[in-house]
Amino acid sequence: MTSLASPRQSFDIGRLARAVAPSLPLIVFLAMFVYLGIASPSFLEPSTFALILKQSIPTTIVSLGLATVVMAGGDDVVSGGIDLSIPAAAVLAAAVVADLVTNHAWFIGPALLIGLLTAVACGLVNAFLVVLVGMTPLLATFASATAFVGIGKVVTASRRINVTDPLVVWLRDGVIAGVPVGVIAACVISAVFYFVLHRTRWGLNLQAVGGNRDAAEISGLSPAKFIATAFVIAGLAAGIGSIFVLARGSGWAPGTEENMMMEMVLATFLGAAFSPRRIVTLWGAVLGAVLVSALSVGFGSVGIDIFWTGCIKGGLILVVVASSALSRKVNI
Amino acid sequence: MTTSSAHILEMSGITKAFPGVLALDNANLSVQAGHIHGLVGENGAGKSTIIKVLAGVYRRDSGQIIIDGKAMAEVTPALVHAAGLRFIHQELHLVPHFTVAESVFMGQEQQGWFGIKSRAMNEAAERFLEETLNAEIRGRTLVRDLGIAHRKLVQIARALIDNQARVVVFDEPTAPLASAEIDQLFDAIARLKAHGISMIYVSHYLGEITSICDRVAVFRNGRDVGVIDDIGLRDSGRMINMMVGRDIADFYPVKNHAPSEPLLTIEGLADRKHFSDINLEIKRGEIVGLAGLIGSGREELVDTIYGLRRAATGRMLLDGKPLTLKSPADAVKHGIVLVPRDRRQDGLVLDMAVADNINLASLQDVARAFLIDRAAAVKRAESVADRLDVRPHNVGAISRLLSGGNQQKVVLARWLVTGSRLFILDEPTVGVDVGAKVEIYRLIEKLAGEGAAVFVSSSDPNELLGLCDRILVLLRGTIIADVDTATTSLDQLIALTTGGELQHGATA
Repeated sequence: MTSLASPRQSFDIGRLARAVAPSLPLIVFLAMFVYLGIASPSFLEPSTFALILKQSIPTTIVSLGLATVVMAGGDDVVSGGIDLSIPAAAVLAAAVVADLVTNHAWFIGPALLIGLLTAVACGLVNAFLVVLVGMTPLLATFASATAFVGIGKVVTASRRINVTDPLVVWLRDGVIAGVPVGVIAACVISAVFYFVLHRTRWGLNLQAVGGNRDAAEISGLSPAKFIATAFVIAGLAAGIGSIFVLARGSGWAPGTEENMMMEMVLATFLGAAFSPRRIVTLWGAVLGAVLVSALSVGFGSVGIDIFWTGCIKGGLILVVVASSALSRKVNI
Repeated sequence: MTTSSAHILEMSGITKAFPGVLALDNANLSVQAGHIHGLVGENGAGKSTIIKVLAGVYRRDSGQIIIDGKAMAEVTPALVHAAGLRFIHQELHLVPHFTVAESVFMGQEQQGWFGIKSRAMNEAAERFLEETLNAEIRGRTLVRDLGIAHRKLVQIARALIDNQARVVVFDEPTAPLASAEIDQLFDAIARLKAHGISMIYVSHYLGEITSICDRVAVFRNGRDVGVIDDIGLRDSGRMINMMVGRDIADFYPVKNHAPSEPLLTIEGLADRKHFSDINLEIKRGEIVGLAGLIGSGREELVDTIYGLRRAATGRMLLDGKPLTLKSPADAVKHGIVLVPRDRRQDGLVLDMAVADNINLASLQDVARAFLIDRAAAVKRAESVADRLDVRPHNVGAISRLLSGGNQQKVVLARWLVTGSRLFILDEPTVGVDVGAKVEIYRLIEKLAGEGAAVFVSSSDPNELLGLCDRILVLLRGTIIADVDTATTSLDQLIALTTGGELQHGATA
């Protein structure tokens, strides 16, 4: 007789989970910013804000690529779309550009073009592996990322290459009307991606493919084409991102991709928490990238040990992914 | 095949063979312009094959297809689409996080210089849904916030939005719908007919066929075995005879079980939302039915009895002893078994072999220490599968490939080998063809005959009347009647489930 009384409690927990789970990442982020603001007053200064935006640029650009792939492949991490290789491709392209400009005295223009083509080729490799070979995107891009990093090390002999080209320096330090040049460029690029993916027929069709492959096929769309194109776009994003990688680091340094990959995944899926539809979107990814960057800068200003920073970010990825899993669970 | 001018679609002498199977054997199907043409038959009768031949999914081996007077030498999905054929698949095929307008216009979005014309699409979708399908749905609503019936209408709107449709093929459109929702769908279909659109309507529900179709073609063994013109409410029996080639008299088994002492007793069970003050008793060797419309709390009550949901108050007794169920695993431990309504989702591991699915709940019985005795497991599965006549006769077959009826048998087989005492069957024959239905009914009868208590929740009043000893009628969360099936008529039962008003001739 007593046995059936306990359910009352668990019913409420279910309701609580339903209400809170989707917003959990935001709540955690907000709490961290409140903490950072209290612990380090300088965190709230305008100059910190500019720094946050500048630091976020490479992650923002590669997150645009990942968001595109996720939108085309679906947000199921195992069976859907994911591309872990974008930062690796960006860093490889950066290595090519740095090597050409600094070691072979190329002009920056042609060097950037070769870099861009390199990154797009990386995207084509992924598209081939996923669409034609039929590999799981997670495995395919994990493998290709490892290969891209390897090639980059071959090109540079894994040694730092400085780039002092004026264009790169201008992207890093230039200011137009008080706004850093890099930030303006990132805004323009994000806006173009947003328009193509969210406001055009083609973009909507790509989202349809990611949302329900059968539905898209019945509507006369060809899912394979959209998914392949998404990987190529991700390669393009990596190519564009490579310029900002060079600008931020004043050249090429080994190991840049590790931190970027983590930030990219975190930013893209964190972005879903902002979306009213709770799906990965481009503007969500951009916002996510800025928040993640703010966190990194904030940790720096409070003086948290760099090793702890990794632990905390890893924990945040867990929170973000767990919350999307939870909200899916309670929505059924 | 008389006056071909009146026929918008004519398929004649269609033959299609797969390795080892002659799926279509010189079959014919012709649809008169402006008609709703029913298509019925057991699973495997060739209905879906002829539809897929028409859709260009399968290539016919021989035969002629004439659409609107033009012979189609080649049939591809693009060509039949251009000819004005539209297919409403059984699955909804919608993107949950898309808006209604985005879904309706999928693949044919309106675009201007500044991108997608969201507002124009919203308005056009709303207008179309209202004018053509009589549904008020906002274009900006997300699909996932719609009920199933509205989703179905969105799916239909997507097929028709370009105004080029001449023939619409519905494949089991009502399978996921509740009865009120079915009325809404039928209303939409009637409007399409008024617009001069011809339709092919494929369904297992003969009641639907008789109420909306003008003509019906019956398929059996890959052939059209008969056409009934001017179909009326009294033709169900004729259709079943044609479909199964045997009489409806032995559709339901002879009741041959005897209720003895009570097994499950429920007193004052209530959750906060869906049902209240539920009292019931099920005896060993008794088949008790549960009737109730969707929304009556029927699903929730069944889930609660099985431990999938929790009740707020009340108690359950099994064999006179208080019963606490924290989870379905607890229920299984007590010998209570649920055969779920959506067996593809909840009942079967689709990619597992039949034998593994049968043994899933009782692996410990065929295990020595930690190792599974494969041979013994397969042997046991084979004996049960044979008893239930699971086809194909190969327990190594992947469950996904089985027909709905045979999948249901596999689910039942799993619980047979565990020696359970109380069987809760939720919609045991939804989506199952007539032949398999008969076998499932026999099996249920047999379970009761062997002393098990059986609780059948079903939306098919005929099924409850034919199968059960008693029927409990659930209306808005309370049991309003407990009737003896021997003295209850179909009309009375329907009247009770719908809240006392005698339903106007929807079922015969």
